[in-house]
Amino acid sequence: MEENVKIIGFACSYCAYKASEMAGSLRLKYPEGVTIIQVPCSSRVDPALIIKALLEGADGVFVAGCHPGECHFIKGNYFTRRRIYALKEMLDIFSMKGKLRLFWISASEARKFVEKIKEMHKHLRESKR
Amino acid sequence: MKIGLFLCHCGHNVKGTVDVAYLSQYFKDYPHVKVSCDYPFLCSKPGQEMIKEAVIKHGVDRIVIAACAPSLHFELFRQVIKEAGLNPYMLKRVSIREHCSWIGSDPIKNTKKALKLIKAGLHSVWHAIPFEEKKVEIERSCLVLGGGVAGLSASSFLSQMGIKVYLVEKGGELGGNLKALKNIWPGEKSASHILQILISRLNKEYVDIFTGAEIESVDGHFGNYRVQLNVRGKRKELKVGGIIVAIGCTPFDPSLKRDIPYGRDRRIVTTLDLERVSELSLPSHPRIAILHCVGSRDETIGRAYCSKICCMNGLKAAYDLKRSYPDSYVESFYMDVRAHPRGGEEFYEKVQEKGVIFTRSNVPEIIPKKEGILLRGEDTLTGETFEREFDLVVLSLGIGPPEDGKKISQILKIPLDKDGFFLEAHPKMRPFDTPIKGIFIAGGCSGPKDVEESITQGRAAAFKLFSLINMGYALIEPQVATVFTERCSGCRLCERVCPASAIVYDHRSRVIRIEEAQCAGCGLCASICPSSSITLTGYTDAQIIDEQRALL
Ligand SMILES: Cc1cc2nc3c(=O)[nH]c(=O)nc-3n(C[C@H](O)[C@H](O)[C@H](O)COP(=O)(O)OP(=O)(O)OC[C@H]3O[C@@H](n4cnc5c(N)ncnc54)[C@H](O)[C@@H]3O)c2cc1C
Ligand code: SF4
Ligand code: SF4
Repeated sequence: MEENVKIIGFACSYCAYKASEMAGSLRLKYPEGVTIIQVPCSSRVDPALIIKALLEGADGVFVAGCHPGECHFIKGNYFTRRRIYALKEMLDIFSMKGKLRLFWISASEARKFVEKIKEMHKHLRESKR
Repeated sequence: MKIGLFLCHCGHNVKGTVDVAYLSQYFKDYPHVKVSCDYPFLCSKPGQEMIKEAVIKHGVDRIVIAACAPSLHFELFRQVIKEAGLNPYMLKRVSIREHCSWIGSDPIKNTKKALKLIKAGLHSVWHAIPFEEKKVEIERSCLVLGGGVAGLSASSFLSQMGIKVYLVEKGGELGGNLKALKNIWPGEKSASHILQILISRLNKEYVDIFTGAEIESVDGHFGNYRVQLNVRGKRKELKVGGIIVAIGCTPFDPSLKRDIPYGRDRRIVTTLDLERVSELSLPSHPRIAILHCVGSRDETIGRAYCSKICCMNGLKAAYDLKRSYPDSYVESFYMDVRAHPRGGEEFYEKVQEKGVIFTRSNVPEIIPKKEGILLRGEDTLTGETFEREFDLVVLSLGIGPPEDGKKISQILKIPLDKDGFFLEAHPKMRPFDTPIKGIFIAGGCSGPKDVEESITQGRAAAFKLFSLINMGYALIEPQVATVFTERCSGCRLCERVCPASAIVYDHRSRVIRIEEAQCAGCGLCASICPSSSITLTGYTDAQIIDEQRALL
């Protein structure tokens, strides 16, 4: 039976969102259960938004931002990194660590973006079985 | 609330795997949707007209366009919305091509996904607010910090364009590093002549030069900075619209490296010393060593980086000495020869042809002896050790960060990199920008550079600043952070994290305030505030939550 895995991805406008647009232009395929929300910077993603998504039925959430040192706002992604790390520790208590991922994706890394998504999707699908 | 939803077929691109007709029918009855229709090419002229007509006919006040990715046809659709009489911020784009029809091939799945995406778009547009771009008055003047070649080239451009320039130089006169040089590479140009040209290009009417001056404090924000100057002990206040930092770099001080007996033995000099003295007291058939990379690529002193210009300095010194003392023996000790500027490689060959010997080695051990200076090291090409005596040892110095880097970084709140140079907003895309709007960096203060690069950077930074302040007013991006002061606890977390220094703490009311003109719109403050008292307009919590709900 086809498992319907739902993933919400937050993508930074300056890098990962651009990569997601490019992935489309390159006709790279990834599962339809992955939907992307554009944010101005990965640091905009409040942990509360992630928890909310997980509580409301998302099987997984990813946050995708620019590589360390390349944030448009200089240091936003460093905050993201610390925050996601802390949130993962917390989710670990509920054995939900695997539901959250952080990707560093530059605007040109459409292929890498799609690989990461596919891998995450596969992992979640297997753990859902 | 009346929403107009427009779906695009994009020929076969969307329609091929997404049932657009079904979707436009489906959303006809969706809450707040007044009109829902699909069209072969929304970006075509008739497509645009169709949108405008529908908006006017149905009295729609916000719009969702489900078509290609939002960055495509961005201006085009904004313009259509404006012409239809709506505020451009009342438009939400939904990507059903790049994020749907092109990434999956199953028509049923794609149609389902498009439905979710459009729902999310509709939920998001519920929260749309007709922002107005705010116009603020700004000063058509600027502060240029540092009177080296970078600062001079920036000042000459701006003053010629009729922008008032306050050129602040810490030293007694203008010129920076070039004051200490005679001829500079490439092409043996006279340094003083270059300085003369740059200074003569300043439009005197628009430039106030302060020498022996430093800045003490700066407050305000883009467009309206107040600068406190200390000019030879006297205080002076300036009002400027923007700032260019060009405080240059400093040659490495070899006495900091203990194993180099510089300053203790007159036979050890730097390339800078060579520029100063006209006559060297050398025996006949002098033996001269040139040491590259002194204070560069040296982990032991925390300088792993290449200083970029010292190879050329070493080559030039070798060439000049060989020319002045044709009977001399000149040997260069180099790690790698990086003759980067135009003509550099050719010059390197010329130096070799002149008879200079090149030995690849790390900076050798320097042992002063009575009859000469002994150099001991390892030839890293052959692996053999060498010991040779010289009458003169010339150090080609690496380049260190600006002396006042820390101080200026604190006053202007602009970051330094790990080596102490100013950090650019993006190494490739925005090399002259700092994270703070209206403050730019140029020349040696953002990393070792030669004269040509420094002049180019000065001019480029000036051009960027010019385009920001020339109009005398600025339109402020309306998607900025706003604070509910009633909720603010005054913890000042947001102030600490804001990359644009846009958050100001008011000591009297003990809450923070956001300088809209300064805010870059990242949303970091909104996500860090423990009291949820900050929202980023255009990306509010409620909006994102509604959007993600629609997607689940
Ligand atoms: C020994 C040596 C030889 C070189 N030879 C060559 C060569 O042959 N060819 C070549 O292309 N390049 C050469 N260079 C590199 C060249 O000197 C630099 O590229 C150039 O000077 C950089 O210009 P600048 O304006 O950025 O900085 P600088 O020339 O360093 O000028 C900076 C100015 O800012 C002032 N300043 C510093 N702090 C403050 C402050 N807090 N407030 C106000 N003002 C301040 C300084 O007094 C100085 O006048 C050489 C460098 C060295 C060290
Ligand atoms: S983080 Fe929030 S509560 Fe703290 S000072 Fe800023 S706005 Fe006020
Ligand atoms: S959104 Fe907040 S943190 Fe980001 S620049 Fe604006 S005020 Fe600073």
